[in-house]
Amino acid sequence: MNPAIDIQGVSVSFPSRQGTVHALQDLSLTVEPGIVYGFLGPNGAGKTTTIHILLGFQESIRGSARLFGVPVTESIARDRIGYLSENPEAYDFLTGREWLTMAGRLFDLTSGEVKSRIETVLSETGMLAAADRRIASYSRGMRQRICLAQALINDPDLLILDEPTGGLDPIGRRDIRRLIANRKKAGKTVFFSSHELSEVELVCDRIAILAKGHLLAEGVIADLVPRGESLERYFINTVAP
Amino acid sequence: MKRILTLATIVWLEMVRRKELYVLLILLAALLAGLLSVDVFGLSGITGYAKDVGLLGVWLLSWILAVNISVRQLPQEAQRGTLFSLLAMPVSRLTLILGKWLGAWSGVGFALICFYLTLLAGVWLKGGGFDANTLVQAILLHGGALAVVCALGIALSTRLNRDAALVTAYLTTGSAFLLMPRIPAMLAGTRGLESISLFGAYYLLPHFELFDLRRRLIHDWGRVGWFLIGEILLYAFLMTVVFLTLAWLGYRKRRFSRGDVL
Repeated sequence: MNPAIDIQGVSVSFPSRQGTVHALQDLSLTVEPGIVYGFLGPNGAGKTTTIHILLGFQESIRGSARLFGVPVTESIARDRIGYLSENPEAYDFLTGREWLTMAGRLFDLTSGEVKSRIETVLSETGMLAAADRRIASYSRGMRQRICLAQALINDPDLLILDEPTGGLDPIGRRDIRRLIANRKKAGKTVFFSSHELSEVELVCDRIAILAKGHLLAEGVIADLVPRGESLERYFINTVAP
Repeated sequence: MKRILTLATIVWLEMVRRKELYVLLILLAALLAGLLSVDVFGLSGITGYAKDVGLLGVWLLSWILAVNISVRQLPQEAQRGTLFSLLAMPVSRLTLILGKWLGAWSGVGFALICFYLTLLAGVWLKGGGFDANTLVQAILLHGGALAVVCALGIALSTRLNRDAALVTAYLTTGSAFLLMPRIPAMLAGTRGLESISLFGAYYLLPHFELFDLRRRLIHDWGRVGWFLIGEILLYAFLMTVVFLTLAWLGYRKRRFSRGDVL
């Protein structure tokens, strides 16, 4: 079986006024299907850049990146994934239900599938009651939830979450944890970037720690973190020894 | 095709819910109402001036709508952050461009029909009318011109920010419309670089004057041969393909980062 994510020797540089910025340097990472994978790093580590590469937003890269064996540069690679960005946004002039219908159609689902999936994801994200209101009237947390519902519309085999708990209250965070656990139970893969180390400790099977574009550590939390030490302490010692 | 139509539907919904079309329709209706009420020198029975000013209004309003709607499509997706959600789905950049163009063009095309119907009603109230065949030909050619304008607007917006693309699109299409018919006469009095630039512009920019049947409608000269209409529409199709290809070339390798959202 192909890995859910397979990144090999990826490097990305950006020109800037201060010279060339190396956002990622020779990054290699493999995520097997069916696990919850935590992708950690301080601000500017290259986490979002890595996610953008996986989504094909950056086509000019060195190295190779594949999703379920398909190069990320092909739009079909995104058939089996769902994505929630760190600043989730949707069309203000649509209702939540219309936004999900549009997403379902873009995933080429049939009308019947779109209808049934919409009910499922609205109930999973707790947005059933607000589904027929315009998105313009949603709070930040509700926008996050409707975008999460959109990321789930195709029942993705790989769910990529970029800082998913950022705008959420404690109940919202708990709901996200439950949702991730449910995805794992269903045999799906979750790739999860976060600063919230306590959340990561609770839900992730494996983690990777990235800093300044380099992969510093990768493995099962229990193997990486010494007995009696918290993930937070381990993270700080690894990133800023 | 399903994805292209879905993207086009979003453009439509935005256009309707932002109420842009209604504003322009009200403007046109107000213009016509003003014209209908005028009775200078006892000219109230003559409909030619109402047709002339009304058709100019239809061309101006549809041009404004086409440029504004097409130019903002791609930049606003990046600005509000929805571009990331769209491109994270199995939507290729070519599909995105085609969907946006189709949405902009069909939306503007629908507005165009509303504009012509309003004008027709106005002229009819004044006791006049248009030759049906010529009117159909005029609307078809007008729609063809707007397809080119929308494609040009989208092509410009792939590399320029929204404001720059808007100004460039207005300047390019406006000067193409006004300047093109005069270039052959201007070429006679020029030499060297000036002549080469005029010659280049004549062959590179779209010839919008080909799509303008206003004189025929105003003076009831009758319809043009349908073969000629077909040729002009083919020209519009080719120009649209050229601009959409340029749009795709400008967009296919474009890198998006968080900075685009802010």
